[in-house]
Amino acid sequence: MGVQSEIEKPKSKMVSAHRPTPDSVTTINADGSRYFLYPADVRGPFTAWRRISAGLLIAVYLLLPWIPVNGHPAVFLDIAGRRFHFLGCTLAAQDVWLLFFGVSGLGFGLFFLTALFGRVWCGWACPQTVFLDHVYRRIERWLEGDALARRALKLAPMSAGKLLRRALKHLLYVLASLVITHLFLAYFVSLPEVWSMMHDAPGEHWTAFLFVFTAAGLLYFNFAWFREQLCIVICPYGRLQSALTDDHSIVIGYDARRGEPRGKLKTEDKGRKTEDRTAHAASLSAHTSPASVPGSLSSGAAGDCVDCNRCVQVCPTGIDIRHGLQLECIGCAACIDACDEVMARVHRPAGLIRYDSFAGLMGGVTRWVRPHTVLYGVLLGVGAAVAAFAFSTVKPANFLVYRAGGAAYFAGPHEVRNQFMVRLVNKRTAPAVFTVSTEGLPAGLRQSGFETPVTLAPMGETVSPLVLVAPRRDYHGSFKFTVRVRDAARTFTLAREVEFMGPDARLLEEEDHAKGLKR
Amino acid sequence: MTNGQKTTIEFNDQVVRQFLLASLLWGAVGMLVGVLIATQLNFWQASLGQAWLSFGRLRPLHTNAVIFAFVGNMMFAGIYYSTQRLVKARLASDFLSALHFWGWQLIIVAAAITLPLGLTRGKEYAELIWPLNIAVALIWVVFAVNFFWTLARRHEKSLYVAIWFYIATIITVAMLYIVNHLSIPTSLLHSYPVFGGVQDGLVQWWYGHNAVAFFLTTPILGIMYYFLPKAAERPVYSYRLSVIHFWSLVFLYIWAGPHHLLNTALPNWLQLLGMTFSLMLWAPSWGGMLNGLLTLRGAWGRLRSDPVIKFFAAGVTFYGMATFEGPLLSIKSVNALAHYTDWIIGHVHAGALGWNGFMAAGMFYWLVPRLWKTKLHSESLANLHFWLGTFGILLYVAAMWASGISQGLMLNATAEGGTILKYPNFIETLNAVRPLMLLRVVGGALYLAGFVIMGWNVWRSIRGASAVNGTMEVFVEAPDPGAALGLRGTFLNAPVVYTTLGLAAACVWMFTSGVLNLLGLLATMISVLLAIGHFESRGRAWADWYDRLLVNALPFTVLTFLSVAVGGLIQIIPMMTIDRRLQTEDRVARTYTPLELAGRDLYVREGCYNCHSQMIRTLVPDVMRYGDYSRLGESIWDHPYQWGSKRTGPDLARIGGKYNHAWHYDHLENPRNISTGSNMPAYTWLMAQPTDYAALPAKIRVQRMLGVPFPSWSPAMIDTLAKEQAKDIAKELKAQGRYVDPDREVVALIAYLQSLGKTWEPTGAPAAQP
Amino acid sequence: MNPPPDPGIKLRPHTYDGIQEYDQRLPNWWLYTLYGAIVFWVAYWFTCMIAGIMPADGARVDSAMSRIAAAKMASSIDVTNDRLFWEMSRNPVFIDAGKQTYQSLCVPCHLPSLRGKSENPAAVGPDLTDTAWLHGGTPKEIYVTVAKGVVAKGMLAWEPVLGQKKTAEVVAYLLSRHQPGETVTVELPK
Repeated sequence: MGVQSEIEKPKSKMVSAHRPTPDSVTTINADGSRYFLYPADVRGPFTAWRRISAGLLIAVYLLLPWIPVNGHPAVFLDIAGRRFHFLGCTLAAQDVWLLFFGVSGLGFGLFFLTALFGRVWCGWACPQTVFLDHVYRRIERWLEGDALARRALKLAPMSAGKLLRRALKHLLYVLASLVITHLFLAYFVSLPEVWSMMHDAPGEHWTAFLFVFTAAGLLYFNFAWFREQLCIVICPYGRLQSALTDDHSIVIGYDARRGEPRGKLKTEDKGRKTEDRTAHAASLSAHTSPASVPGSLSSGAAGDCVDCNRCVQVCPTGIDIRHGLQLECIGCAACIDACDEVMARVHRPAGLIRYDSFAGLMGGVTRWVRPHTVLYGVLLGVGAAVAAFAFSTVKPANFLVYRAGGAAYFAGPHEVRNQFMVRLVNKRTAPAVFTVSTEGLPAGLRQSGFETPVTLAPMGETVSPLVLVAPRRDYHGSFKFTVRVRDAARTFTLAREVEFMGPDARLLEEEDHAKGLKR
Repeated sequence: MTNGQKTTIEFNDQVVRQFLLASLLWGAVGMLVGVLIATQLNFWQASLGQAWLSFGRLRPLHTNAVIFAFVGNMMFAGIYYSTQRLVKARLASDFLSALHFWGWQLIIVAAAITLPLGLTRGKEYAELIWPLNIAVALIWVVFAVNFFWTLARRHEKSLYVAIWFYIATIITVAMLYIVNHLSIPTSLLHSYPVFGGVQDGLVQWWYGHNAVAFFLTTPILGIMYYFLPKAAERPVYSYRLSVIHFWSLVFLYIWAGPHHLLNTALPNWLQLLGMTFSLMLWAPSWGGMLNGLLTLRGAWGRLRSDPVIKFFAAGVTFYGMATFEGPLLSIKSVNALAHYTDWIIGHVHAGALGWNGFMAAGMFYWLVPRLWKTKLHSESLANLHFWLGTFGILLYVAAMWASGISQGLMLNATAEGGTILKYPNFIETLNAVRPLMLLRVVGGALYLAGFVIMGWNVWRSIRGASAVNGTMEVFVEAPDPGAALGLRGTFLNAPVVYTTLGLAAACVWMFTSGVLNLLGLLATMISVLLAIGHFESRGRAWADWYDRLLVNALPFTVLTFLSVAVGGLIQIIPMMTIDRRLQTEDRVARTYTPLELAGRDLYVREGCYNCHSQMIRTLVPDVMRYGDYSRLGESIWDHPYQWGSKRTGPDLARIGGKYNHAWHYDHLENPRNISTGSNMPAYTWLMAQPTDYAALPAKIRVQRMLGVPFPSWSPAMIDTLAKEQAKDIAKELKAQGRYVDPDREVVALIAYLQSLGKTWEPTGAPAAQP
Repeated sequence: MNPPPDPGIKLRPHTYDGIQEYDQRLPNWWLYTLYGAIVFWVAYWFTCMIAGIMPADGARVDSAMSRIAAAKMASSIDVTNDRLFWEMSRNPVFIDAGKQTYQSLCVPCHLPSLRGKSENPAAVGPDLTDTAWLHGGTPKEIYVTVAKGVVAKGMLAWEPVLGQKKTAEVVAYLLSRHQPGETVTVELPK
């Protein structure tokens, strides 16, 4: 099998450019230490768009707790008060199950998006990428210069200047991490409270303090050092997403049919047509190991790839996209911009590396409608409909009826009694008046409790008894009835069906006969 | 490679095909039962009023079916297929192979009959009755003999990493199964486990946790190491990683069992070991996951189209998620919120559906074309299976997360400055998560639909195809006597000696005090430093020794056994050797009355422990809700212990005397009578069936044998005592307006329930020992 | 045919049924998490088991429960002290607070007038203003009745719902309709 070499890699600390291979992870050195990446600057339309979308996303991530909707921040998970505000919709503890739609909707939206566009989430919207590329790496770029300069700085002996620059960089990292975590805390604690907490001694809110500083520490560690390791080793979603793509999902790919055999630029190749080599490409089986692409074309005609390695230099996870779809690829499109720039310079058409499906890269047509996308589209639609319905049932109040006391019913000589407790929750920020009524009670039944409307403070809760008494002569077995809650303005109504229980009516009759009572 | 004689062997792939098909069948059955009982949690009527369809009896059937029938058969198929090829030998005995297959299927059928009948031992995943336990042990021995005999006849001298995992599986499951199933029969169908109270709990979770480890994890890791590189046609990423993660996994896993009993009455040192070793397990578990993923790395492009690779990649990813969540849930404070809630249910299903189910699917799709020399009927159906399955898992797990966390938060919520509970009525918290329980059914049903599609796909593929047995050309080599490791070679070498020294020193440090403690710490550090020094300077010798170990199956097996056994020994032996009466803290239970014992066996029969715990944890919200925290002594005579692992309903440790008999009667007749919105089954058959007084003398005799201090009653006296108490209860019930024949089972069960939390006496020991 | 791998990445010489193995390393930081977990174990074991700095779980809960009990007591009174209840029942602050709770919870059975069955024979609860009591008429007995309930008759246990303070306030409100030293009769519960 494969050629083996006994040559050990020299264990020098020299930072040489690793050549990515399909057999190993670029960022792990042979001795297990970290190979730190210095992705080169890249310019181009995708980079520009990514910067704009990242700016918007950062604004959204950070501003959600600031924008008031219906008197509450757009997103405010008030753990202490067990009230959860989402874009004007308020959930009480009893509604928390609706968070399920948030979790599964996010997950499933991702599934659908992935089936269509591969790991577009990773490269464009994931907070890890957004903050790393557009906050921390910007700081680094600003202080330490481009990739070459950063690499040189790393190799340079420690000096006052280097120390100062490094210290400043890490100081800014720490600051950024602290700002992010404090704003993140505002998702759970209201802003004025965050502000006042910041002015108190840490001991007074030690859980919040611990949370913020642990989180900031983790963020700092993650963005300053850990970086792409999170995506490669830790994050499960990247892998699941890769498994959710198919031959027609749009991913970032290298057009091997056009590019191979790659070679250093020779003048006569400039502007050469590519069609004449499609025959070779057809011979490329869909499942050939990507690594086997180079050299597999025997024809003398050179491909469009000039092997300038720009796509490798700009890659933030240290792969060579020309090996095909890989575990590490987060779909950031840096290599597309890098390659297009080079192609323009050598007067060849852009798109040697591009967003395309595997089918498209193989010269076929991308099918958008396929069982996979239809199934997920339908399921997503059903899920959205269920979620919309579920949220529409969320009323400005919650209520629950449960049986109180030690027994299902209390039977006395003249009556049968059922006792309930009714919990009412006002989820509005204004006081509310509720009326609780019963419907469907047979004649003769007496109700006590809730004779008058109940007033609840903003966000208030109350539990009160509701007692129903049936005279024995009117009781002929258990029956169901409805408890209904309305607000004073009659804007909504909530109802629950409850059962009135009692002894078997025949037993009562027997008993009465035994006692010689007339009915 | 050239010395010796060349022969061609034909593998026994018949048994592989049988196990594969059995796994498909039982998998569908087990998951169907799962969907049914999940439906019952939403619609209690779904048990159709039948005792044998009730949740408490079917939940054990569900768990046993998916663990032992689905994964068991899948594992046997994978192990038999890969072992024959990895060691270049046909399975040693066709008879043993057939006996293994048919014996295992018979056991499954017997389980499917006995469990719904309420014949159970009352311990999770160990419910099967004692005659079946013996059958399982015997068939497992048949498996072991067949496997090791095959190893003995191997033509490939060196053992591949998959075989290491198979060896660990076979010996560890045997050890766990036998110890946790030790019991003394009271009749042909009933027995009491020899351990009681905390000992039973400890042994149970030593077994239960490691059933997950050595039945659901290690064999599947072995299968991963064979089938994944085969399917990906890529070399395994790292051999040294295989070595590190194999040995750390088998050594560490065993210790983590007590994390199922965190914050309970279990002695603190055991809880500490359970938690800290679970945290240590993260790295080895992820080592396995990463070795799988990075092996796939070079074939990543095929994720797009090859269902086998898709299932493997997703399966390994779910393994990573479940083994990340596991250590997280083992942290005592996280556990305080999550334990007893649906979060745990979500956690195990991420593992069972994601890891076991998907690895099985990947393996089946890879094997079927090879075992029947055919093409898979439809790749797109396999892809559909994958998409449905992934979506089903997402729905299921997200629903259970949301449910567990919201119910946990509500149960812990307090009011009035933390002095009273915000939701004192348990039913309120259950009502809050009911919609999520419904969404879980949808997720599970989607997953099942995917699984059934696989069954159909396989059936269409093999219909009309001819079964084909694999063949291989092997060289029969003369044995190399120089390669054998003797006793000295096995034990007297740097890795074993340093590990033993370090472990012994660490034990001295952990379990002593004063000077000895310091010496232990010092000795531990010295042995670690010596080991590091030796490894740095003579690492080559370590590697050479390990290479030699790999061609010595018996020494390898012995060392594996020792490293799995040590954790259990250190945790369980101290708890066994100390007199039970010394493990009672400040109170000790009195023994049950005969009627209460009869009621307790009904509690076990109906599987009440599936939804109700009897363990008030040392946590403020628990104490506020249920009363003073449970002491070891209160359950010390309980055979089997009934601490429980899930609270779909409230804890029952101190339910006794809280309500009158009529309350219990009404509640058992139809729980909705008392609790609006309850999802508990209506136990109407308890009102109709007579209590089995005749069995009581034999039961009490066995309990006395087990050391439970019952008085030496005569059988007649037992009968009288039981009937007298039943009459008293029936009389009280009558006074409260409920008529019941005293000989009905409901009376015995009420007697037991009313005794819970009431039957202890103070021992005079201080309340809380430091 | 695979291309020759990077010379730095060695394949192991042995193959098993065609499966080859590299011998690469995982990132060192992965190994450090294992070492970190071991160090945590040592430190945690030392704190809990050897140094005994952390209190045992039982003791911790006991002390937390005593803190809760203390908080309850601090905001309440000695519920076995009849004289204190009588003093409270003359204090408008307690009476008002008790009245509020009474009106939201007790009215369905005992009526706003507190007179229950005396006012309306069809009412569920007995009269609370007369001197005939079913379950004891001293303030501390009344407190126990309200706090623990009378399960058989459907009177709920209110202390777990209200807490001690509010329960005591309700008792003070009831007593405000009574005089200290009045003669009470206790009917035996049926």
